[in-house]
Amino acid sequence: MTGYLELVVLIGAPLYVLAVVLYTFRLVRGPTIPDAVLAADCIAYDLAVFLTALALYYKTPFMIAPPIMLALWAYLLDIYVSKYLASREVGA
Amino acid sequence: MIEPLLFWIGSAMFIAGGVFDFIAALGMVRFPNFYVRLHAATIGAIYGAVIPLIGISLIALGSPEIPARYAVAGASFVTALIILIVSPTGSHVLAYAAHKSRAVEWSPVVDHLEEDEEK
Repeated sequence: MTGYLELVVLIGAPLYVLAVVLYTFRLVRGPTIPDAVLAADCIAYDLAVFLTALALYYKTPFMIAPPIMLALWAYLLDIYVSKYLASREVGA
Repeated sequence: MIEPLLFWIGSAMFIAGGVFDFIAALGMVRFPNFYVRLHAATIGAIYGAVIPLIGISLIALGSPEIPARYAVAGASFVTALIILIVSPTGSHVLAYAAHKSRAVEWSPVVDHLEEDEEK
């Protein structure tokens, strides 16, 4: 499978980049705050997949820890923004 | 012997996840209001992130030339599990807050939650 690994990542990764571009359109344009937060969530999850794909492409385990933090960060953003919208205070 | 099988199953999951993610992004751009866009966002989170991460974990298990391939496989599987737990919770909480703060302008046919809150 030596030659096919790069080929698979090169076929798959542009789809994720294209999706991130479309999500960024919604993040900038989004008429309300929940729209922008939802788009930021989707970008964070996409970025997690993209970073693990980079770890496969460059054959290094160094890029494999950040996606876990990214996923948890998206959840934190959800919780804080919803708390603020629902009760008008963050209250950390 | 089993490594090519793992590699090709993982590759299929990775590329299919990319297609699903692109479709979800199209829906995110085209759908009319926030509550409909939640549908596209959830497709982008589960089919567009969890499935490809499990696929990447299978690819890593099936490629002996990657150094520390078990670390790569385990970490991407853990990320998939975290997103599987966290993403539905986050969208649910966000939908509740959007309805509670009346941030979204929409004209629903029926809205039982608002009727209950007015009582």
